[in-house]
Amino acid sequence: MSDDMLRAPAEVKYAEELDWLESIDDGPKPFSWRLSPRMIRLFVLGSERSDGLDREIAQKWFGDRSFVERSIVTLASDRGLLLIGDPGTGKSWLAELLSAAICRNSTLVVQGTAGTTEDHIKYSWNVSMVIAKGQSRDSMIPSPIMTAMEQGVIGRFEELTRSTSDVQDALISILSEKYVSIPELDDDNIVFAQPGFSIIATANSRDRGVNDLSSALKRRFNFVRIPVVTNKKSEAEIVRFRTEELLRRHRIELDLPPTLLDILLQSFADLRSAAASATSDDEKLESALSTAEQIGVLEDAILHSHFFGDRTLRAQTLAGSLVGSLARRSPEDLAILNKYWHGVVEPRSKKDGGEWPEFLEGGREAIATLS
Amino acid sequence: MIDQTSTFGSLREQLLEAAAAFADSPVAVPGILAGLVDDVDRALREKLEIFPVCHHSPASALAMVRRLREKQPKVIYLELCEDLQPLLTELRNCRLPVAAQAFATDLDGFPKSWAPLSVVAPITEASAEYQAIAYALETPGVELVLVDRSTDHVFQWAPKEEAKERKEEAGLHGDAVGVEIGDLRPRFAELEEHLLHHGKVRHWSEWWDQYVEQPLSGADYDTYRQVMVLIGSLFRRLTPDGDRLAVDEDRERYMWTRMREHLAAGGADPGDCLYVCGAFHAASRVEQFGLDSTATFEISPRTGTKWLYGLIPSSHSAIEAQFGLAPGSVSIAAATWAKAVNRTKLAPFQLTGQKGTRKRAGARGARGARGKPLPQKADAAPADRLTGFLSRPPALDALDEAELLGWCVDIVRLARRNGYLASTADAIAVFETSILLAGLRNRARPTPYDFQDAAVTCIEKDVVPGRRDVRRLCEILLGGDRVGEVGYDALPPLARNVYDRLAPLGLDLDKRTIQRALIDLNAHPELVPCSDLLWMLRYLLPDDAVRPIMGERRLGERSIQESWDLAFGKHQRSVIELGYEGVTIEQVLEQRLRRSVWDPKATAAVALAAVEDAVLFLGSRRFADELGARAVELLAAERGVDDAPEVLRRIRRLLAYYRANEPELPAWCEAFVTAGYAHYCTLLPTAFVDDDTGVRQVGAMLGFLFTMESLALALGCDRAQLELAVQQSHPEAPAKVALLWAAHTQLGLLTMADLRARCDELLANPLVVPSVPQYIMGFVQAMEPAPALSGFVVEMISKAFGRLPDSVLLPWLPKLITTLRAGAAELVPVLVREAGRTFPGSLPAVDSWVPPWSARPKPAAAIGAPVASGPVAELLLGHPAACDGVAGLLGCEGEWRDPASGGGAGGGRPAREVTALLTAHPGPALALAGLLA
Repeated sequence: MSDDMLRAPAEVKYAEELDWLESIDDGPKPFSWRLSPRMIRLFVLGSERSDGLDREIAQKWFGDRSFVERSIVTLASDRGLLLIGDPGTGKSWLAELLSAAICRNSTLVVQGTAGTTEDHIKYSWNVSMVIAKGQSRDSMIPSPIMTAMEQGVIGRFEELTRSTSDVQDALISILSEKYVSIPELDDDNIVFAQPGFSIIATANSRDRGVNDLSSALKRRFNFVRIPVVTNKKSEAEIVRFRTEELLRRHRIELDLPPTLLDILLQSFADLRSAAASATSDDEKLESALSTAEQIGVLEDAILHSHFFGDRTLRAQTLAGSLVGSLARRSPEDLAILNKYWHGVVEPRSKKDGGEWPEFLEGGREAIATLS
Repeated sequence: MIDQTSTFGSLREQLLEAAAAFADSPVAVPGILAGLVDDVDRALREKLEIFPVCHHSPASALAMVRRLREKQPKVIYLELCEDLQPLLTELRNCRLPVAAQAFATDLDGFPKSWAPLSVVAPITEASAEYQAIAYALETPGVELVLVDRSTDHVFQWAPKEEAKERKEEAGLHGDAVGVEIGDLRPRFAELEEHLLHHGKVRHWSEWWDQYVEQPLSGADYDTYRQVMVLIGSLFRRLTPDGDRLAVDEDRERYMWTRMREHLAAGGADPGDCLYVCGAFHAASRVEQFGLDSTATFEISPRTGTKWLYGLIPSSHSAIEAQFGLAPGSVSIAAATWAKAVNRTKLAPFQLTGQKGTRKRAGARGARGARGKPLPQKADAAPADRLTGFLSRPPALDALDEAELLGWCVDIVRLARRNGYLASTADAIAVFETSILLAGLRNRARPTPYDFQDAAVTCIEKDVVPGRRDVRRLCEILLGGDRVGEVGYDALPPLARNVYDRLAPLGLDLDKRTIQRALIDLNAHPELVPCSDLLWMLRYLLPDDAVRPIMGERRLGERSIQESWDLAFGKHQRSVIELGYEGVTIEQVLEQRLRRSVWDPKATAAVALAAVEDAVLFLGSRRFADELGARAVELLAAERGVDDAPEVLRRIRRLLAYYRANEPELPAWCEAFVTAGYAHYCTLLPTAFVDDDTGVRQVGAMLGFLFTMESLALALGCDRAQLELAVQQSHPEAPAKVALLWAAHTQLGLLTMADLRARCDELLANPLVVPSVPQYIMGFVQAMEPAPALSGFVVEMISKAFGRLPDSVLLPWLPKLITTLRAGAAELVPVLVREAGRTFPGSLPAVDSWVPPWSARPKPAAAIGAPVASGPVAELLLGHPAACDGVAGLLGCEGEWRDPASGGGAGGGRPAREVTALLTAHPGPALALAGLLA
């Protein structure tokens, strides 16, 4: 089934693994959860030899164990879970994995935007049906959140802070009373949440101050802050894991040379430290330089070399993708990249050799083209 | 070869089977596993009872209390630097945690660059060593012997590079090297990482708490011992060979040698002795191990370094920082200990008179120690407890609901006080989350770490409203940082002296908060000594310890009222460390000042500063003279003039002070001025041309030469030296040229009119105009040596503003301000005053104002120069032809004037008066003529 989709949701992609875990799970399960908290942790963080399982479970989310534990425990409690962090830190991926593991449904998602209205959170009406038959449960269109309530599963709210405060506040009663009333109907006008219902929201910490959460809503969410991955080893793991997944999705046979991965990680680490020491916004790249950004750069380079190159990933292509993805503002970002290329990459290519000289050349060309 | 007959035979066999089943390489693993059992077996069979401990482990402390009560040993050997022993009796005067410190500044046998050397051994209440010390000191007839190598050996055995690169550690311990009993931690990072990863915990303290501390807290003595030795042996066998292991082995040899010596000398029964050491050392494999060993170990003599000893306050956070423990872990250990003592109804030992510990338990403890011993078990061969321990999951504590509820309520209260919007609902959520988290992590009872995580999850939102976040609040809640205090009786004489002398202020200096002292020196002259002492402490202690809010002490000034912020409680360590330097504050200050002037890098400016400090703080003329004499030596030996501005400022101040307060200048001042005059004269020509010497320095040199001139000449210096020096100077830099012109003017070698003309030329010459600003900066600096030039400087600056082209003027203006601020701040008021005198005071007056230099009347050419009378004038007047010829040749026009008329009107009169005088009194003239004839 997952072959028919461009991107299968986690519960489809890992269906077989989840089935197997469910079959061996003998731990206590809260509400109507399909897996016990320990098994969920195992599903997300992968198994080890010491777990004594018959098969290996791959690690799907890379980060501190305690974040996952705290998230699972929050969902087992009375409160909603709000994952907060910089863009590209894997918040939505963790949310998807948790929903898939808990209730095998990670698709009940509301995307928070400036145009999100309360209807998207509660319910709306099929206008032609209302005209034809009047207001009834049949002519009502439940929102993903309401559907989650009815089914007792996890509802997701992406980018909560992008939607306006009055829309956000529609969640308050859902999270505390756990029902939605439909005043338009005379009977059967309350939808009660079934056991197992909870909400995982994500928020971008860079958006703080745009639409701040009200205190009442904050109180109903437990916050788990996901930091940017700075550990090189785990970052390499994440990039490799996600890129292989992308390659599989595009059905591309292409080797990812470890030296190029090192170059990519090193460049991002350098640029991050440069951004950390910058004193004004003009001196740092607009990009958050997150892990997701690295994956994007790599994907771009891979696709480029697959369709326009000789089907081998080269340092030159990688450099071009890096410059192309990071240079968003001209001339600020280009100036920073130019400085980086001349101040860091050039000496390194002289000192270390390897793929660096080619990387240097590719970057120079890309900067020259854009300038 | 498997020894089936020994106690641990079956365990050894099991382990070997496991090794064969799981290991990939069949060689190493069985060796290690069997070795573990061997180590345990050997340690338990030893005649001298070995008590393995781990630092800051409540389980160790509990086991120690139980064992001491049961065994009542007569001699206790403790793994602690042997030379710290005398300090231990002083512990009863302190509030724990404190640290025993050995300190040395006078190094003999170590590289000088290592100084000062400092070793600290922190002691907390929840530790096995404190229980052993308290038992030994409170029970008559019990001897406590410290057997580890001395602090001197700590550095003797230290790898040379490591000692050199000791890192700065924040906190109460300063940069001391820490020694600790029972350092038990994997010695290489991978092992620790592996244990943490598989233990599913975040840091070492949590691992230890979950896998060793909790299972052992209620264990019987045999289990405790066997498990501890097993862990010690595991880490030991997995330790990479290196310097650190070599030092550890040497320490073990040292300790066993010392113990054998002690037993041989005192004749104590080994059965009555207890050897308390880290579990790592209990699993030792050195050949000196055991009382039966005959292997010897040569203990190297101590170096000649003089060590000083004292107790300094310590804190949980300082201990955590120094020994790389997780923040809060020592506090959590202390809380666990307190709870375990309550739960087990055990009476811990405590030193009588100890402040800040649990009184009731202490009283019981002391009674218990003297009173009824617990019935002693017959010393049977130890049974194998390890097999059971290793094969069963640990018996975990049941959920202590009341305790957890208490924590949840308290954390919400604390969070509210710190600005969080936390409520009872949060307390409920924290409680629920703690239990869920513990369940997820395989624990029946939430540990403090689970609770901390739960509190962070439920209470922490997107921003931290106050200074502390929830994690920090949890640490505070679970015991918080505890800071020890060294009691008055355990303080060194100097510190006691300080406290005594500050007693008239009537403040509680032990408090950790800042104390405000208000001193009215007129109304309470008896407080003057306190004020003196505070100023000295201000000089010697870190800035925050003693801070004057009002009042200052400068040469020739005296405060009427002073107000001070004192933080002695917080900075007790600094006061105590001063005690290592001397017996009184005055002595320490004197030593510090003396050391500063005899330092190889000392300069004349440093020595003058020392003189000033000596006058200010010590008031001792003799000592100031001694330092002053050194200043003269230093000045004469100096080759550079970098410090000239500082020297000038300080010597001026000192001279003013001595002139105002003493009948005559001290001899060193006179010597300094004469030496300085000669010194700066000599260096002046070089300084003028040297690129590295700034204008400010040259200005200060000239300032010294000109402003001290009268004093120097009175003391026998020669002005010709200065004139020669100035004439020999040929600077090229514009600023220095200006300075030289100013010097010439001051010496009378150049008239003001000439100087003005030269400067006007500069402004008129388009090639030189860009460098005019630099000339002006030189003139500004010249106001120091030649204050009379200030009017001229105002004129120059005004002209520059008026005439310089914008391209030169505008870039220079900001530079002028910054340079004036940085390099000539003290000259700006003079300049401004002069400008105020020169420019009109009101706006309307500006329109009609003509600068004084523009309005200057032209030299009266018509009047001409006065004509001198005398025989020459008469001769020329009589025969003008020759002069007219020369004048004609040179193209000069002029007229002859009679000396009797015009400017020379009076010219004839004096001659006539003289003639009349000589005629009236011819005596002297005739006598002179006779003499000459």
